[in-house]
Amino acid sequence: MTRSRDAGRVEIDRVIHEPARLLITAHLYVVESADYVFLMQNTGLTWGNLSSHLSKLEEAGYVEVTKDFVERKPHTMANLTEAGRRAFDAYRRQMKALFADLPDEVD
Amino acid sequence: MRASLGLREIERRAWLRTFEHGLWDIAVGCLLLAFGASILTGLYWISAICVPLALPGLRNLARRLVLPRLGHVTFRRKRQRSIVRIQIILTVLAVAGLGMFLLTAWSTRAGAPPAVAWLRSHMLAVIGLVWGSALVAAGWAADYPRLYAYGAILFGTLLGSDLGLAYNLGEALVGVGALVAGIGIVLLLRFVRRYPRSREQEVARD
Repeated sequence: MTRSRDAGRVEIDRVIHEPARLLITAHLYVVESADYVFLMQNTGLTWGNLSSHLSKLEEAGYVEVTKDFVERKPHTMANLTEAGRRAFDAYRRQMKALFADLPDEVD
Repeated sequence: MRASLGLREIERRAWLRTFEHGLWDIAVGCLLLAFGASILTGLYWISAICVPLALPGLRNLARRLVLPRLGHVTFRRKRQRSIVRIQIILTVLAVAGLGMFLLTAWSTRAGAPPAVAWLRSHMLAVIGLVWGSALVAAGWAADYPRLYAYGAILFGTLLGSDLGLAYNLGEALVGVGALVAGIGIVLLLRFVRRYPRSREQEVARD
């Protein structure tokens, strides 16, 4: 999020800001890595939704998806990249600052 | 999609889910049942074979029942340190238990210090303290409060027997073991009902 002095506009990282992606990013932020089943269980997203949002996060360079074999079965794991962690930290700071700035009552 | 968000809560919930299946309770219960059965029957090999059988069995069940339902997750350094802490606590207590066993074996010889003789005469209470502490410490390190109750019950059972309360230790351990394993089975059934395996999850695993 940045404040443009000219327009007074607030820009938010929309890749993270979308609710489903925010949930995915938050879950990946608190763990090292997780597979699709874990993310589906913990976010309540369907496989299709999860897959599409993970692709968007991957395109932004925030998430890394790796495929390996666990007991001879293919296994897909996802983890936040360093850029993803930094972006999430920045998003948290920005949202905190944004809400801290609000007046107690608005007439 | 769930909307509630709190990073600490998300992490803790994910961690606690790894205990929600009740398999740890079943393992603790089975070990207590085995110790009780050993005392009742005098067949001490039951306990000796139970430990090496319980751990691979538990791992196999977790792989078949838990992983397909909850998925796989690697926790961050703080939790990984907790796991190392549990292993250290259990190792220290196992060494302490072995040390006590050797001390008491030595105490049968003439000239053992009074402290060692006292340890031998209160062996059940000391074993209860060591095992109970192991469960409480593991519960603390794993952030898994149910183990506190199991530790307290186990210590109470062995202390009561040491103090000469009128109950049979073997039967009491079998009873406590059956209770703990029963709780584990109820949790496991609830877990299987709560997290049914879906076709979508099978696809997601690939």
